[in-house]
Amino acid sequence: MNMMSATDCLLQMCDEQFDLEDYQSGVPRWCTGCGDNAILTAVQRLCRDEGLRPEKTVFVSGIGCSSRFPHYMKTYGFHGIHGRALPVAEGVKMSRPDLNVFVNTGDGDCCSIGAAHWIHALRYNMNITVFLHDNQIYGLTKKQASPTSPIGTKSNTTPRGSYLEALNPLTVTLGVQNVSFVAQVVDWVPEVLFDVVKAAFHHRGLSFVRIVQRCPEWLPKSLDPWLHDPQRLLFLNHEKGLQASEGLSRLYKNQIIHDPSDLSRARDIASSIDPIPVGILYRNPEVPCYEDLRNSGMLRTTAMAKSGLNAEFDKFTVWPEAEQAQAA
Amino acid sequence: MEDAQQAHVAFFLTGRRPADQLDAVDGLNLRPALFARYRTLTELRYDFPLVLADGGSGEPFAESLSGLVDAALSGLSGSETERARKHVLRLEQEIRKLVAGGAGGTLTTLWDKAADALGRGTDKALEDSLKRARKGIKLDGELTDCDEAMPARLIRHGWSSVQQHKAAAFGKNIAKLNLKLAEILRSDFESSAAGRSAKNLRESVGSAHDDTFDFAAMSRMLSTSLPKNAFPESRRRRISQLLDVLGSQRFFPLPDASGNGKGAKAYEFFFDSCAAALVALRERMPRVVELARAIAIAELEIDGQYNEARHDALFEQFGANGMDPQDLAPFPDYLICMNTAKLQAAEHAQLMEILSSGLPIKVLLQTDDILKESAIGEGNLTSGMRSRQIANMAMGLNEVYVLQSSASNLARFRDRILRGLAYRGPALFSVFSGASGKASGLSAYLTSAAAMESRAFPAFAYDPSAGPNWASRFYLDANPQVDLDWPVQAFDYEDEDHQSVSQDLAFTLVDFLACDRRYSKHLARVPRAKWNGSMIAVDESLTGEKRGLPEKVPCLLMVDADNSLQKVIVDDRLIREARRCREMWHSLQELGGVHNSHAETLLAREKKAWEERMHQEVESHPQASAVAAPAPAPAAAAPAASAAAVPPATAAPASAKAPAPAPVEAEPEKSPDDAYIETPRCSTCNECTQLNDKMFAYNENKQAYIANVEAGTYAQLVEAAESCQVSIIHPGKPRNPKEPGLEALLKRAELFQ
Ligand SMILES: Cc1ncc(C[n+]2csc(CCOP(=O)(O)OP(=O)(O)O)c2C)c(N)n1
Ligand code: SF4
Ligand code: SF4
Ligand SMILES: [Mg+2]
Repeated sequence: MNMMSATDCLLQMCDEQFDLEDYQSGVPRWCTGCGDNAILTAVQRLCRDEGLRPEKTVFVSGIGCSSRFPHYMKTYGFHGIHGRALPVAEGVKMSRPDLNVFVNTGDGDCCSIGAAHWIHALRYNMNITVFLHDNQIYGLTKKQASPTSPIGTKSNTTPRGSYLEALNPLTVTLGVQNVSFVAQVVDWVPEVLFDVVKAAFHHRGLSFVRIVQRCPEWLPKSLDPWLHDPQRLLFLNHEKGLQASEGLSRLYKNQIIHDPSDLSRARDIASSIDPIPVGILYRNPEVPCYEDLRNSGMLRTTAMAKSGLNAEFDKFTVWPEAEQAQAA
Repeated sequence: MEDAQQAHVAFFLTGRRPADQLDAVDGLNLRPALFARYRTLTELRYDFPLVLADGGSGEPFAESLSGLVDAALSGLSGSETERARKHVLRLEQEIRKLVAGGAGGTLTTLWDKAADALGRGTDKALEDSLKRARKGIKLDGELTDCDEAMPARLIRHGWSSVQQHKAAAFGKNIAKLNLKLAEILRSDFESSAAGRSAKNLRESVGSAHDDTFDFAAMSRMLSTSLPKNAFPESRRRRISQLLDVLGSQRFFPLPDASGNGKGAKAYEFFFDSCAAALVALRERMPRVVELARAIAIAELEIDGQYNEARHDALFEQFGANGMDPQDLAPFPDYLICMNTAKLQAAEHAQLMEILSSGLPIKVLLQTDDILKESAIGEGNLTSGMRSRQIANMAMGLNEVYVLQSSASNLARFRDRILRGLAYRGPALFSVFSGASGKASGLSAYLTSAAAMESRAFPAFAYDPSAGPNWASRFYLDANPQVDLDWPVQAFDYEDEDHQSVSQDLAFTLVDFLACDRRYSKHLARVPRAKWNGSMIAVDESLTGEKRGLPEKVPCLLMVDADNSLQKVIVDDRLIREARRCREMWHSLQELGGVHNSHAETLLAREKKAWEERMHQEVESHPQASAVAAPAPAPAAAAPAASAAAVPPATAAPASAKAPAPAPVEAEPEKSPDDAYIETPRCSTCNECTQLNDKMFAYNENKQAYIANVEAGTYAQLVEAAESCQVSIIHPGKPRNPKEPGLEALLKRAELFQ
């Protein structure tokens, strides 16, 4: 029997109501038509619908167009270093497990310079929600090929078209030990984008969502074939995953049943580039979170913080000679 | 009837024993035959002595010596394992002897003492064996034998270990709250004028940098540039009060808030009477409420959620209706250890008050003698009956954890004891210690084991938290052979011709009574020469209610000090007791689902109904096929039996009435002439809203719709439709036929209609 005690009830009587505006901060500087706008809207809806308290919520990012995300959220944010969003977020989660931690990262940020952090973050499986804004290009630095650029992409670094097969972030993710949540969605189907964002937030562990994102500025036409042909999206339905609504099913008829606990089938599906699979590929709530495994239960008192800091500073401190002599 | 048999019957009916026919049993030192092998307990391996473990987390709070030794032996490997086994078992026996002889101490001290007694100093092989085995025993603690003091020691020890866990969790929580509240106050101070004063800044940076810093300038800068967001005075006061309450709590011995030494002296929660416990409880209740309220408010404060307008009034009323068990769970439990011998009427009433209070109070009610007759004489409650009655009443209260057990079985009930101690409401542990056996030359262990075996004091547990019904809550299976009236064991002996004989013997209440010298007048030994076929076993004599003069007399098989077999007849008084005891056992069996009368009645009724149905079906079958014949028979002609067997055919009309499935929400038909946006598909790309934010606007989910079609030109509509990333803007027909360039625009718009 798990009834709430009178005190628990009392403690829960303070839920506040929030509006979308409570999470909006500034006017996004993204290009008009940029897919990042859709992601921002979906995430702000999530915050509002879940009543996430702004002071208990952090968005961490690296560098790139997509990494400007924290500026547009009226919550805590950390616009970090290129490729290092994940380690920063892990640090935040480790010391403040009570916070809702989100990461926004681009395909360059995550799959290129930050690839090592990406792999290890998956293995650490901390309770963080990660959005990979995959526009298949370096947007902010004005069009250089990224690891996810399709072969033949002409860019400032590959004027004759890129030479390598694109890296598939889904198959990479699904190959890492301890992976616990992988989903994919496209920025132009807002209903599913929202559902996936929500499912990712509710998963306990690292939820990795690859969002196929349009960059109308540098690759204006590259996703048009998928944008204009509903048959080229493959919806993954399951009672344990997401279920396409009737309205959606009228337009997007290409659907299959996929059980998100089936890892090998998830890997098969992940390999498909056309049609683009949309929905939850894999979910395993049993994988332990690193912050739980390492929780010592010790209180961080001021004294403890001070002695820790001092120990670190002492490694670099150079004492004036006079004082050294005195100490001796 | 022969003389001898006449004398037997007379003894059975009147208890009068003619000396020439029957012997008195006093002084013969007789025991029930099944006890023959338990003469020297210290030579046997059984659950005692127990080690009351010092307690590391994850360790059981008590473990039997033999269990520890077995575990250590099973971990031995390598050479000479068999030798080591023998040595260690000898040591175990030695320890058992020391403990039975009254030696106290921890396992370590007694191990060493026993090892020395066995001559470890001179026997290298022995020393080696013991050393190896000792490594396999990870736990240590005081040893206790199964004596009069054991039940209270064991329960108190288990209770202490539960309280220690609680104290650790409680202490951790209080330390966290203290730290966080102090941090809130400190951050308030840092942003106050005093916090930003040059003096405070200098102190926080340290003197080493006095020359390099201008603290006055720094103070000026901070005071003017940073917002002044000091707390309202009420919040500061509230937090200080919380710190006071948390720091002065006396429920657990904790270091005080400053971390220096101990705080106020902690309350005592162990009592030897209900009265004293009740006084303490009443006195402390306001403190419990105060502390629980402080903890709840502190949690809200720390989370930044305390809202005076909302919470002040709510917390004013906190605890006014008493505290619920869940709120009390972090607080210590009370433990009362008392003896039925001292249970006077007033104390009895207080015990009932405690048990029905729903509060976390644990009571050990120990009975040392369940056979002592009450002063009023036969037919009235013995103390054993009294404790059984209290246990029954406690079960009737529904929310009391009740455990009844003989001392001998407590080691086996270890986990159930712990469950009772951890239970969130009251718990009653009713224990028979077996101490009364001493007067008859029997150990407490044997006496209490016999009480359980003979159903005089059955073991059971009732755990209200285990589920919603008796089947999940009540546990009777600890008793031997629960589905029988009396447990039956094979008894092997040698007859006069040295032939080995094996016979099944039931251990009844009468066997238990026969161990007690106070009952010897109800027994008479039949000299071997007078043994005859009309002497029957007690359980057999209990099976039927006979009228008139008995032809057969109940008789016990007993052994004397030399283990030679004796036959002892018993009188009717003991048989009546045995019958009463069996009835009580039957009630317990019913509670435990063994031979449950309701279940059996139901089963019989169902069986009968089923048989009748089968019978009728067979009979009505030809009729049934007649109904199915082409000429439709009127419904009334359908045989009742088949109507009962087949669900009435109402399916068709029911489904006809069922509401039609909810219609798929039809999209509002859009006229191709109207401009519109498929809003749910909008990806918030800003194209249209930047073109004309009067014409295009976002809804509450930040998805675009046409807010005012008059607010712009048809040209803008078409342009928006062309730039919309997901092509969901439909321009419709122009509203102003005079707009220039319409023809070209209409052509462009065609793509998006
Ligand atoms: C250490 C470092 N290396 C390189 C850069 C230059 N740089 C800035 S953003 C970026 C790539 C951004 O691409 P992506 O992560 O895909 O983000 P997008 O702009 O496409 O959203 C690069 C290489 C940098 N800021 N820091
Ligand atoms: S450059 Fe591309 S990714 Fe960056 S804001 Fe513009 S459209 Fe978006
Ligand atoms: S142009 Fe289309 S997708 Fe963009 S905001 Fe307007 S309706 Fe939405
Ligand atoms: Mg990119």
